[in-house]
Amino acid sequence: MNLSRFNLALRLLWRDSRSGELTILIIALLIAVTSSTAISLFSDRLQRTMTLQAAEFLAADLVIACPTPIPTDWQSRAKQLNLTLAQTVEFPSVLIEHDELLLAGVKAVSSSYPLRGLLKTTGADYNSETITHAGPEAGRVWVEKRILSALKLNIGDSLTVGEKPLTISNIITYEPDKKGDLYSFSPRVMMNDADLTATGIIQPGSHVHYFFQFSGDQEAIVNFKQWLQPQLTPSQKIMDIHEDRPELGTALIRAERYLGLSSILVILISGVAIAMATGRYTQRHFNATALLRCLGCQQREILWLYCSQFLILGLLTSAIGCLLGWFAQRGLFKLLKDLLPQQIANPNLSALGFGFSIGIIVLLAFALPPILRLKNVAPLRVLRQDLEPLPISAWFVYSLSITIIGLLIWRYTTDVKMTATVLGTGLITLLVLSVLIYGLLNLIASLVPKMSLTWRFGLQGLIRNRQATISQILAFSLTLAAMLLSFTVRTDLINNWQQQLPENAPNHFALNIFPEQQLAFKADLQQDAIQGSQFYPVVRGRLTKINHTPVQKFVSKDSQGDNATHRELSLTWTKELPEDNKLVAGQWWTPTQTVSVSVEQKLADNLKINLGDLLTFSIDNQLVYATVTSLRALKWDTMKPNFYMVFSPGSLDAFPSTYITSFYLPEAKKDLLNTLVKKYPSTTVLEVDLILKQFKTLLKQLTQAINYLLYFALMAGFTVLFAAVYATLDNRIYEGTLMRTFGANRKFLRKTQWIEFGVLGLISGFLAVIIAEAILYALYTRVMAIEYQPNLTLSLIVPVISALFVSLVGLLGVKQVLNRPPIHVLRGL
Amino acid sequence: MTPTQIKSHSHPIIVAENLAKTVLTAEGTLHILSSIDLIINSGESIAIIGESGSGKSTLIGLLAGLDTSTSGSISLNGLDITQMNEDGRAAIRNELIGFVFQSFQLLQGLTALENVMLPLELRGDKKAKAIASRLLERVGLAHRLSHTPKQLSGGEQQRVALARAFATQPKILFADEPTGNLDSKTGASIIDLLFELNSENQTTLILVTHDAHLAARCERTIKIEAGQQV
Ligand SMILES: Nc1ncnc2c1ncn2[C@@H]1O[C@H](COP(=O)(O)OP(=O)(O)OP(=O)(O)O)[C@@H](O)[C@H]1O
Ligand SMILES: [Mg+2]
Repeated sequence: MNLSRFNLALRLLWRDSRSGELTILIIALLIAVTSSTAISLFSDRLQRTMTLQAAEFLAADLVIACPTPIPTDWQSRAKQLNLTLAQTVEFPSVLIEHDELLLAGVKAVSSSYPLRGLLKTTGADYNSETITHAGPEAGRVWVEKRILSALKLNIGDSLTVGEKPLTISNIITYEPDKKGDLYSFSPRVMMNDADLTATGIIQPGSHVHYFFQFSGDQEAIVNFKQWLQPQLTPSQKIMDIHEDRPELGTALIRAERYLGLSSILVILISGVAIAMATGRYTQRHFNATALLRCLGCQQREILWLYCSQFLILGLLTSAIGCLLGWFAQRGLFKLLKDLLPQQIANPNLSALGFGFSIGIIVLLAFALPPILRLKNVAPLRVLRQDLEPLPISAWFVYSLSITIIGLLIWRYTTDVKMTATVLGTGLITLLVLSVLIYGLLNLIASLVPKMSLTWRFGLQGLIRNRQATISQILAFSLTLAAMLLSFTVRTDLINNWQQQLPENAPNHFALNIFPEQQLAFKADLQQDAIQGSQFYPVVRGRLTKINHTPVQKFVSKDSQGDNATHRELSLTWTKELPEDNKLVAGQWWTPTQTVSVSVEQKLADNLKINLGDLLTFSIDNQLVYATVTSLRALKWDTMKPNFYMVFSPGSLDAFPSTYITSFYLPEAKKDLLNTLVKKYPSTTVLEVDLILKQFKTLLKQLTQAINYLLYFALMAGFTVLFAAVYATLDNRIYEGTLMRTFGANRKFLRKTQWIEFGVLGLISGFLAVIIAEAILYALYTRVMAIEYQPNLTLSLIVPVISALFVSLVGLLGVKQVLNRPPIHVLRGL
Repeated sequence: MTPTQIKSHSHPIIVAENLAKTVLTAEGTLHILSSIDLIINSGESIAIIGESGSGKSTLIGLLAGLDTSTSGSISLNGLDITQMNEDGRAAIRNELIGFVFQSFQLLQGLTALENVMLPLELRGDKKAKAIASRLLERVGLAHRLSHTPKQLSGGEQQRVALARAFATQPKILFADEPTGNLDSKTGASIIDLLFELNSENQTTLILVTHDAHLAARCERTIKIEAGQQV
């Protein structure tokens, strides 16, 4: 490296930064780096924290559920991958103590259980909960409070499970992986699996569920899962955080996508600002460059001179940005302290590195093309000021930015086809928009001569240099669209979550209500003003054949269909279409004599069931044939009873049925449960309020996090708008001054500026709305799976806000110059 | 050369009393101009000469109301502009004053015609276009009306600037080294044109120049040395 040249670069940079020309560039770069560092650190930590939390619901990262133990080489494979193992065995068992009889759900746990999450117990006094990270020791047993009262037991007493007497040491109040499976619900007895053999319950053919649990490095988990999948038998099922809790899974996935989207948007927005600021910087350096060339600098040296300046600038600013981002991210976690779990995943160095590299990359993508232009400054310019260097080949500029933007998008989507689609659509949009704006400017130009002086001068500012105006409007509208996107997606995402779990979403299920008790039960709920869902009759049965072909032929492994065919289904019938269900094909009951069934759409897809197919069900060892007359879509996460199969009324009258309902029980009325359980002893009440509460807290956290990200995006957006207006001020200031020299007063100039900036902002705002709505449509229907609805109010407000904001910034920029004596401005040139 | 026409110096149009300009710099207070007293009569032509950096541009900037003085007073056509705000001075400029600058100062985005129309339009003149075209014709650019400054040579640009300066028939014309950016031949033709237009319009001319010959064409010369009148 030539040291004296390097010194020159440093000195020039120092001059430039002091003269304030690079301020906007530095600010924009700082925002890009700070926000992407903060976002990447924050979302990385949050995602890992959330994953950890979600893993708690499973008590592991991955679980294999199966009716028999898994092969030992699976376990050795897991150990090879450095995974931690635990194991639980669950089975129903009848407990008999003091002549009382109770069906309990026994769970024998290994010493390393739970791998994720924790257990809560209380002692005899019931009020102080203890948190532990391991289950009962051998010889001990933990039970739910209900067991004590039902079997007239106390802590310290002996409870015999199978043939093994165990000592009751604690009351269990919370276990992370309690399953909400409707028919397996019975009070919990938790024991150590060392005592399992002694119980004598586990015999070949006994009804037992094994859960093999694994935790560890995410990569190792994925690796393990991929290795497992081809070896699974139909009865072995993998559960992991994304699959097992669909409602949690989708919330997480959506949040992840939003985080990714915001990141890209902030980077792009800042990139635009950097491009504009560098453009201005370059223009202001034409003369100096021409002089340097005159003095004998070669093109290569000029390039090196400026590039090294920018490189120094980029490295310094990125470093500072990283630091700021790190603090911003810490601030965010501090702000969210009360909402987030106690333990937060540690910051990841690679996320920090990502922020830094973004700084360099953004600078490369957006600042290099204008800088390269300086290379082309002709030495002759010292003599002829009007000699402007040729712009760098458009082909080069565009392919550079497109490549880098593409890489960014790809980083988040990791999907080549999707990236290509996004980029392609983006390019076509830009092209169409440019043509549109060009047409609009021509239209304005044709109208201008007939306008009043103020309007004429205002609008002339726009049509005089159409190319510059087009790129300015494009930059504005893209930035605004990005801001709008961030805002709308966030709002819709949060609304969607809130709709999904309204305040009064049912938090209890009541099952096994006998038909003759149904009316009384309903009345009891009504009496206490408890909101309940519909009562559905339930008959248990199995789907065996589709058009006389055994259903197994249609099943792909590990699918929903697999699930549905390997266990008994809850079959119901109703006259009306159940609430929250939507008919997607066929017709609701028409008065015919044949037995008809309505099938849930996804299951139908999975099993390739079509309208008119004949399904065979096995109920109570009898066969029932039903014709598919409709397909339904339903929302699984409404916390209301949902059914794969709904029969026409009367079809299942021959079979004994019970009723199921769900209801919302506020915490204050929790006592009612005891009354209900006493009055309807056969009825099982399933409490999901705890799970729901956890889930709601999680969503609240996500919402908060997403809000903060939005603020980042908005901040970046406003800075860009600011930068963009400022980048074009030079010429406006000069023209304004000259007009003042010839006697224009400030009011007139202010008016023309209002018109110019206002129209600029208005057009950009309208375009932004169009762009944003188009993207939203694609995003919602393709990526996020949220219903798309155009937002008319926003579409009207945004252009107005945009016009106001752009005008205000513009006027602010010219203001101090308007008040300075014109000679200062003329001298400065 | 001598003035082609003897004018009746009826009344003073520019009166400056005890004018001073100081600026604050990093090194302290810099006195650019001090104790300038001037009376310029209507229709007079004045040359301001002095070394580079002596304060000539600063002086005419003050006289034209493009800048504010630190102390002293200036009245133009009987109106004290030191008491006015920027908009008041702008109105005076539009009414009384025309400018020609060394570096032309044409608006790049406007055509020659539009540039000349600018001051007329600013005062709301309905016949702006007719007057501007006539003047451009007068300065020999009838065929370049729709050309933008970039398409014009330096001399041609200065002709446009002259047309613009005279478009409003100003009482006073300030010219700051109008030929400084031109070769001598083109410069001479511009100066001839300037004096012709000046006598046609009976304008008071204040011309900053380095050129002694040029100064001699004016009726009176004011010499500035280190911010002082000598
Ligand atoms: N705003 C300012 N700040 C600092 N110094 C100034 C300022 N304006 C003018 N000067 C200084 O005042 C002095 C007079 O400047 P002015 O432009 O009036 O000179 P001039 O006589 O027109 O010179 P030239 O013939 O080279 O155009 C110069 O030394 C200049 O540097
Ligand atoms: Mg000067």
